[in-house]
Amino acid sequence: MPLDNVVFWVFAPIAVASAIGMLVMRSAVHAALFLVVNLFCIAVMYLLLDAPFLFAVQIVVYAGAIMVLFLFVIMLLGVDSPLPIRERLRVQRPLAFALAAGFVVELFVALRAGVGFATRAPDGFDLVNAPDNTQALAEVLFRDYFFPFEVTSVLLIIAAVAVMVMAQRKARAVTQAESDAAAATMATPGAEEGPA
Amino acid sequence: MRTPVAYFLLLSGILFALGTVGVLTRRNALLIFMSVELQLNAVNLSLVSFSRMHADLTGQVLAFFSMVVAAAEVVVGLAIIVALFRRRSSIDVDDARELRW
Amino acid sequence: MVASELTRLVDTAAFGPLPLLWLIPALPLAAAMLNLFAGARLGRAAGWLGTAAVGASFVISLTVVNQLMGVAAEERLYVQHLFDWIDVGSFKVGVDLRLDAISATMILVVTGIGSLIHLYSIGYMRGDPRFGRFFAYLNLFVFFMLMLVLGQNYLLLYLGWEGVGLCSYLLIGFWFDQVANVEAAKKAFITTRIGDSAMMIGLALIVLRFGTLDFDAVFGAAAGTLTGGAATAISLLLFAGAIGKSAQVPLHVWLPDAMAGPTPVSALIHAATMVTAGVYLVVRSAPLFELSPVALDVVAWVGLITVLFAGTCALAQVDIKRVLAYSTISQLGYMFLAAGMGAYHAAMFFLVAHSFYKALLFLGAGSVIHGMQGEQDMRHMGGLARRMPITALTMTLAAFSLAGFPLLAGYFAKDIVLEIANTNERWGFYVFGSVGAVFSALYIGRMLFLTFAGRTRSEAAEHAHESGPILWGPLVILAVGAAGGGLLSSNPEGLIARFLEPVVGLVPEGTAGLAEPAFVAVAVVISVVGLGVAWWVWGSGRVDWLAVRDRLEPLPRTMMAGWCVDRGYDLLVVQPGKALSRIVAFVVDAKIIDGAVNAVGTGVQRAAQAGRLLQSGFVRAYALAVFVGAVGVLTYVGLRA
Repeated sequence: MPLDNVVFWVFAPIAVASAIGMLVMRSAVHAALFLVVNLFCIAVMYLLLDAPFLFAVQIVVYAGAIMVLFLFVIMLLGVDSPLPIRERLRVQRPLAFALAAGFVVELFVALRAGVGFATRAPDGFDLVNAPDNTQALAEVLFRDYFFPFEVTSVLLIIAAVAVMVMAQRKARAVTQAESDAAAATMATPGAEEGPA
Repeated sequence: MRTPVAYFLLLSGILFALGTVGVLTRRNALLIFMSVELQLNAVNLSLVSFSRMHADLTGQVLAFFSMVVAAAEVVVGLAIIVALFRRRSSIDVDDARELRW
Repeated sequence: MVASELTRLVDTAAFGPLPLLWLIPALPLAAAMLNLFAGARLGRAAGWLGTAAVGASFVISLTVVNQLMGVAAEERLYVQHLFDWIDVGSFKVGVDLRLDAISATMILVVTGIGSLIHLYSIGYMRGDPRFGRFFAYLNLFVFFMLMLVLGQNYLLLYLGWEGVGLCSYLLIGFWFDQVANVEAAKKAFITTRIGDSAMMIGLALIVLRFGTLDFDAVFGAAAGTLTGGAATAISLLLFAGAIGKSAQVPLHVWLPDAMAGPTPVSALIHAATMVTAGVYLVVRSAPLFELSPVALDVVAWVGLITVLFAGTCALAQVDIKRVLAYSTISQLGYMFLAAGMGAYHAAMFFLVAHSFYKALLFLGAGSVIHGMQGEQDMRHMGGLARRMPITALTMTLAAFSLAGFPLLAGYFAKDIVLEIANTNERWGFYVFGSVGAVFSALYIGRMLFLTFAGRTRSEAAEHAHESGPILWGPLVILAVGAAGGGLLSSNPEGLIARFLEPVVGLVPEGTAGLAEPAFVAVAVVISVVGLGVAWWVWGSGRVDWLAVRDRLEPLPRTMMAGWCVDRGYDLLVVQPGKALSRIVAFVVDAKIIDGAVNAVGTGVQRAAQAGRLLQSGFVRAYALAVFVGAVGVLTYVGLRA
């Protein structure tokens, strides 16, 4: 039994299981942790698919940065407590499950008709990945897709700026009523009113 | 690699479907966001699979970009959720119901 | 009898006044336009302008007819082409004027009597705030009437037909501040419209069959092209128009009410010219009618029935003008009776004579009303002979002429019609026509003696006086015609018959019936005895006719109301029409059509209300909708592939 298959058939179920686990967990932290497991499994898949660079990037960026950010926000906001389970929209859950199942079935049929479950990947990928994946990827990235690369960097800057702007607590314009109220409660230097 | 490509694609599809169920079913905004991340990852997986199948690195490059954009998106999205939480002290998306008749 | 072929005058018409033919209708039209736009500024001059225009037309008509008479009988036809009007594919209609014996007669009558009535109107309408407008309408009417009789094709005839109808409406309702006048004008227009619509269908049939409306083309091809059925249909449809315009039973109801207009209007339009348009139409279309004996019989019988019907109604009227209105209806019946027997020349002669004495009667009645300060009820008149001698004398002449008093124009006119009935073994026509003559003598005698004889019956009558010369001048001139018209035709082969023969064919010959002396005796007896009885009952003062009338009630009242035909129409036509209108307006339009439109609006609103509920505000529901759509599209694409 080839090593590829073994690895695949070990990690694929783990990926699915962890995804399901993420869905059913009440606690947000637990769900985030399950997602991390899922991301690891996907990284292994990348490795199987002869994309070592992406394997590394996936772990570093996704599991290491993004999920950490998630956990950070969850902890910060203290929203670990589970929300009430009663579903207000009655059709929502059944329909979502049905549609998802239908989607998977469609995909299965499409794959069987299109790619075919017997097709193996061609063997010549080593040539593409010469001398190694990182370098090949760099060549493609900085040569053929240089412009999207630059645009993406701009995008990141924009995102950073946007977050800085949004995270500020802005000073609101003070209305007359509020200034009167403030004057009335001048004796008590009260805390600023609620969330901005 | 001996595993048929279609299995990867099917795995990707299953993960995507699970992510969609999560988006539609959970009410915690952060959990919805995480389900979106799951979706994005599933798509990245399929991109890389196709890249392997067609022996073209374009798929991997696209997956790479997708990750970058996903990162930016997460940053901005979380900032929005934090701002929303500050305003109404709740991250239940069902409480944000003003966009109605 | 088929009209003989006429050859057209072309070359000889280059000289002489014939090319001035177009001026005859053009002058009144120009005067009408002038009076319409500048009438207020012209003041009294508007009346003289109008009269001068028609007078000039009369003079030109005289010269033109004179030139026409200078050529041989077979060549008395002049057609003047003015311009092309319609030229579509193979259908052409040109504005062509036709002068032959018939139209010559008509233009002389229209312009001659017309100018006298215009002159009379200057005095009668003095002081009216819309003096200029009145003459504009009168001139416009004369223009349309001339176009009617001078047209060389049916479309020009129809143009004139409709035009005179319009002018009649305008003139009947001239004093429009009173609702009754407006109602009368509307009634006239709508009633004649019924006939006009049928006539229009007749014209359409002519176009269908002949491809043209030109008289010469149609009449020339008539015998070969038309089947008996088609000829009957066309003739009857045209005659339907004549029934409306000439106030025959059953479309006669508008004429008595039309007396609401000023008296000159009644004289010109409802005695001498417009109502005779129907007779002109039938006579002009003789070649078509000749192809359908059924149509001719219908014409004759309608005429006869009208004679009797209107004659009885005239006997019971108390308004002086209404007597004359019903008399007009009755006399027109005689003309159609003649035409229906194929005696077109007799119809035309009757038309001419009737124009004279009826116009005279109306103008005289106007003079009486003027002298009576507006009173029109004969029961309040009496004894006016001494106070208004000229009017009395001229009206007596006209009344006697109508009654058929020997040697007056009316006598000859009626005589010819009855003689033809007599000699052609149309006994029904002869007998009942004579009965009608009895009625004529009675009712006109009644009118005459109630008005002028006996003792005065009211203050107004006491103080009545003769009007000025501008009012009695035309009376005198008309009286000459009413009396002396017999010169034109003292027998069926007289002047006018020979004049008209090339166009309308020979007189129906016959030798049956009463011999000449017996016939003449009967006619004289009818008129003299009739007038005598009228004098005895209403003029001599020896019979208390008011008491007799009261005792006979409700018969007189029914007769006065025209045998309640108006009520019948109201019940059968007007009320159902109004009910239908109510249904259409308030049910179909308001509820169904508006309801449908409103339902669309309401439906949209309801749909929007329902659709609005989709926006629940739950973001997850929106996301689900997106996902549903996405899966749907995927399925569709997948199935197609």
